[in-house]
Amino acid sequence: MTQLPTPGATPAAPPPSEPLPTAAPPRPRWRETLGLLARNPTAAVSAVVLVLIVLMAVFDETLAPDGPNDQDPSRQLQPPSWSHPFGTDEFGRDILSRVVLGAATSLRVGFLSVAFALVVGTLIGLLAGYYGRWVDDTLMRLMDVLFAFPAVLLAIAIVAIRGAGPANAILAIGIVYVPIFARVTRASVLGVREEVYVRASRSVGASDWRLITRHVLPNAAPPIIVQTSISLAFAVLAEAALSFLGLGPRRPNPSWGLMLADGRGFIDQAWWYTVFPGLAIVVTVLCFNLLGDGLRDVLDPRQRTLMAGGGR
Amino acid sequence: MTSPAKGGPAEGAPDVLVSARGLEVHFPIRSGGALRRTTGVLRAVDGVDLDVHRGETLGLVGESGCGKSTLGNALLRLVPPTGGTVTFDGADVTRMRRRELRELRRRAGMVFQDPFASLDPRRTVAQTVAEPLEVHGLHPGRQARAARVRELLQLVGLDPAVAARYPHEFSGGQRQRVGIARALAGEPDFLVCDEAIASLDVSVQAQVLNLLRRLQRQLGLTLLFISHDLSAVRHVSDRIAVMYLGRVVEVGPAAAVAAGPQMPYTRALLSAVPLPHPELERSRQRIVLRGDVPSPSRVPSGCRFRTRCPDVFQPCPDVDPALQPVGSAPGHVAACHLHGVVGTPVERERPDAPVDAGDPAA
Repeated sequence: MTQLPTPGATPAAPPPSEPLPTAAPPRPRWRETLGLLARNPTAAVSAVVLVLIVLMAVFDETLAPDGPNDQDPSRQLQPPSWSHPFGTDEFGRDILSRVVLGAATSLRVGFLSVAFALVVGTLIGLLAGYYGRWVDDTLMRLMDVLFAFPAVLLAIAIVAIRGAGPANAILAIGIVYVPIFARVTRASVLGVREEVYVRASRSVGASDWRLITRHVLPNAAPPIIVQTSISLAFAVLAEAALSFLGLGPRRPNPSWGLMLADGRGFIDQAWWYTVFPGLAIVVTVLCFNLLGDGLRDVLDPRQRTLMAGGGR
Repeated sequence: MTSPAKGGPAEGAPDVLVSARGLEVHFPIRSGGALRRTTGVLRAVDGVDLDVHRGETLGLVGESGCGKSTLGNALLRLVPPTGGTVTFDGADVTRMRRRELRELRRRAGMVFQDPFASLDPRRTVAQTVAEPLEVHGLHPGRQARAARVRELLQLVGLDPAVAARYPHEFSGGQRQRVGIARALAGEPDFLVCDEAIASLDVSVQAQVLNLLRRLQRQLGLTLLFISHDLSAVRHVSDRIAVMYLGRVVEVGPAAAVAAGPQMPYTRALLSAVPLPHPELERSRQRIVLRGDVPSPSRVPSGCRFRTRCPDVFQPCPDVDPALQPVGSAPGHVAACHLHGVVGTPVERERPDAPVDAGDPAA
């Protein structure tokens, strides 16, 4: 066993012989995360494209060449041309303008519904995972019930009860995604709850609230962040599906799903009517998915060490 | 090594800071499935009587899985006891309300085994060390807290300039110093060191051990030093308590226990420590115990050590031995029938169990 110094040895503090970390400025973790993400080309490109799409949605009125509902009977169903790059629809409306203006609707529904699911689902998962026992049983069985319905069917049912419209579409999609966030959060919390540093904080007197907000949630966050990104993709799709079925935003205001639905009737004469809004959905969904994958890699501590070590 | 007992009561009656009486921590063993029936009981701590005197270092030794850590946790109510009592400075820990419990958390700290797991990876050293200050509202104000954190880091031999760094930038020994600084932040009276040096490199172990000794003297701490490393325990402790299968089986002054162990288990444990002298080491007699430690869910009747004891005799399966004075040193007690049969006769739980004919001790 250890050859220990004799009890009479110097009682003074032995200077730590190990080298202390040198005094470089500390890097906050989120900066490191962004740095690693930038080195993942797919995720980085996706993030940039998403930022552009969001900017497009924000400045839609200035960017769109025409108004959303400017009709012109003289240019019905024209194929793409220099003056109308995405062509026109059956009322002679410019499809490029409608795709640009529809971005705001689609993204707003996507972001708000995911925000709802994120807040409610994370809270439920946090309580279930942290307190366990009957709290866990009650909340998670409730989530199982919600989960048992096919997602779109449940959304349709909610919209059917509350009436069509953007606000109800947001609520419906949000409720559908609550169980996913609850499960992801619970699973992550179950692992973090047992960590020694949580017990260590309890041993110095930290309250449950403090443990949850300062220690458990931050350490359980990575899978939730990834889930958020992937859910945004599904929410944009769900919005399109609901609009397509006439349960989302109302005509004549454009939304990508609504345009798909309207273009369906003309698909044999005017491919551009469905293809361009469809492409907008594909690009947005793909970017959210790729960003989610990239975040998953970057936020995984083991992968993180590998990547950081390899890049130095 | 004498304890700096300052202002203690009358001689012979040591000033007790922490005391356990009949302490039990039993965990239910549940079957899987939706019903979660309780199918058994795991007796991690099973009737422990132990006093920790103010200002002393009490070493707690025993094999892995004997309940040392659970006992340490139960003394601070980090694991809820299922039976018995714990008193801290006269107050019953098991019945404390929220406010009293928080004060206990300030007055009693814990240093954990694995310094790589016991620090939150997302919080800086300063945030970790300052947590007890925030929780208990000590040294209010940003500047005062930062100053106190610097002071604490210096106290444990770290450069205060590292306060803004994250745990992954430190070595094991340095992290353990951070853990000790956190435990000391609330100016505790009592510190439980749960295998605090077990996962450190050998060279670093000695440093951390000496740091703990220095802090104990400097701050007048009472230390419960839990370890399976007998030589480390002998080095730091004033008294030693030996645990086996959830029970304290021998307690006494460190020198007395080390030189004259009175219980066969302690003897075997001590005989396993290598000696730092080639000739002595060659002549060392090892007592090798038969078999494995029984499962804490199936504790043997009577003396729980009887299944492995080299000196087992008639009363061992029938009488659960109590701690009784042994040897020549005052305060040296052991639970063993070799020093006279004292204890609780075993109740025959199953009437259909074969009863030994002509049992003299029954």
